[in-house]
Amino acid sequence: MNDMTIRRTVLVACAVLACALPASAQVDLTGSYQTRMYEDYIERGPGEFMGNFTGMPLSDEGRAKALLYTSNLPSTYERQCLPQSAGVFQYRPVGFRVWSENSPDGNVLAWVIGGDNLRNDIRIWMDGRPHPSPNALHLAGGFATGKWEGDTLTARITHLKTAWIRRGVGIPASDDSVITLHMTRRDDLLTMVTIQEDPYYLTEPHVVSRVWQWNPRGTEFDRPQCNTANEIPRLEDTGIVPHQTPGANPEEDYMVRMFNLPKEAALGYAETLYPEYRKKIKGTYKPPADCVSRGPGYCCGWIETQGRPGGAPNLTCNDGGFGTLGPRGRRQGATN
Amino acid sequence: MARRVALVITLVLVVSGVSRTDAVLAQGRGAQAPATPPTPRAQAPIDLTGYWVAIISEDWRWRMITPSRGDFPSIPINVAAQKIAEAWDPAKDEAAGDACKAYGAPGLMRGPTRLHITWLDEDTLKLETDYGMQTRLFEFRGAPATAAPSRQGTSVAQWIIAGGGGRGRGGPRFGAMKAVTTNLRPGYLRKNGVPYSEKTVLTEYWDVHTETNGDRYIVITNTVNDPTYLQAPWITALHFKREPDAGKWNPEPCDARF
Repeated sequence: MNDMTIRRTVLVACAVLACALPASAQVDLTGSYQTRMYEDYIERGPGEFMGNFTGMPLSDEGRAKALLYTSNLPSTYERQCLPQSAGVFQYRPVGFRVWSENSPDGNVLAWVIGGDNLRNDIRIWMDGRPHPSPNALHLAGGFATGKWEGDTLTARITHLKTAWIRRGVGIPASDDSVITLHMTRRDDLLTMVTIQEDPYYLTEPHVVSRVWQWNPRGTEFDRPQCNTANEIPRLEDTGIVPHQTPGANPEEDYMVRMFNLPKEAALGYAETLYPEYRKKIKGTYKPPADCVSRGPGYCCGWIETQGRPGGAPNLTCNDGGFGTLGPRGRRQGATN
Repeated sequence: MARRVALVITLVLVVSGVSRTDAVLAQGRGAQAPATPPTPRAQAPIDLTGYWVAIISEDWRWRMITPSRGDFPSIPINVAAQKIAEAWDPAKDEAAGDACKAYGAPGLMRGPTRLHITWLDEDTLKLETDYGMQTRLFEFRGAPATAAPSRQGTSVAQWIIAGGGGRGRGGPRFGAMKAVTTNLRPGYLRKNGVPYSEKTVLTEYWDVHTETNGDRYIVITNTVNDPTYLQAPWITALHFKREPDAGKWNPEPCDARF
């Protein structure tokens, strides 16, 4: 028995142990991912209609708070970063990066999600550490721990700051929100499922599933951090908080007027999320006139690539009152 | 000294890790192989059976109700598709006995439906919907030799076995189902007449997530490829929540209008 024999034995041992070790990281999630806005396009692209809370299980408190929202509200210093938190990325039109942080011996300590959509990265600790005291610091990215369940990385995110669940329409999330995140990569597609619970503003978990696509060219970070600025000078140092008057939001029935939606659907009651609701309104719901004859109102075809390489020639659509889109993009030929 | 080192390494091997690989090594030791390979049903790493309900938390206005003619954001259609969609006439579909055009596999799964999933036999997973009363079959032994194009097409399925599970040793098992559906009759991706062609290929990855409170969700990552009517693959994800029983199962036939 000599050094060569020992080496061989060690090599064989390592090979067998490699087969025997539990698989703690089955999939390498590292990379940049580009959004694919094939769901909720209007919300994530040009922006949602005010007062459109469809698909949400809002509590009365959540609904009341959302109805106070006005588009000037995010211009206040304190609220400019609320759309950049852990849950909102599902409703943003931008990509993100995923990378690992490793210990000196190569073990993954944390998976990190960062991007324009996040004021703070979501750092998913994989080393078994516990969540801190409820009184510990809350961040926009929260505090997250994760584990592998087969090829899915499951994370639990707590310690979030107050934020909006859906940007642009004011649907709120409290700092007691908890998000369960499932990340599953299949080939170049990354499916992100968020199950958000909020004891004040939601009556049941809000489930969203989205797909991103691996982007070998990398994702641009426009705003890795949220920087605040004075956006409306007349508000400076006044203490004024723009808001709608409770019970008098002129947009409260916008979806009713625009799309004939039942009000309980527009305002996010949980019963409207399930198939029996469709049966309930069958026979009473009347869709609005067709898009072509109705005129303005985001009622159009595929506009993401319009006028760009790969876009279909002559594809036109109506852009919410800004007139028919021209070949060079949005709002060409605007009439108001 | 060297002999002692080798002996220690061998002992460590025996004590620590080999037990997890005994199934693999057993073949090398000449153990008895099963007389017949396990069936797809027996191999299933996840349990898809039971009743599941779609949660319409996304694209509500286009999934829960029938949107107006010409209202088709989010789908990367081309001009040919736009022209067809803008000429949508449900009365014509009804007259042609084709009220189920929006209930083909690529459109069906985005509908406000419940799913009832069972094993038809050891090789075939059966999916029924109460929305439109449709049936999809996931064939784990490959596609039938000859099959005419149909509303639900031919779905060939396979298991993706993931690591990290107990592999039959009592621990949780993980994996997914991949299904590729072809041989479809033309239909609608959206109720208001957004078309897909007979060349469409629907690729699905089915995952199951179990939450700490016991809630279970199916999440399906879908890619619709249609060279005739799409500019790019239409990539979406859908989620369904497990229900305890058939209490809310409420079949209704296809409806071309709503």
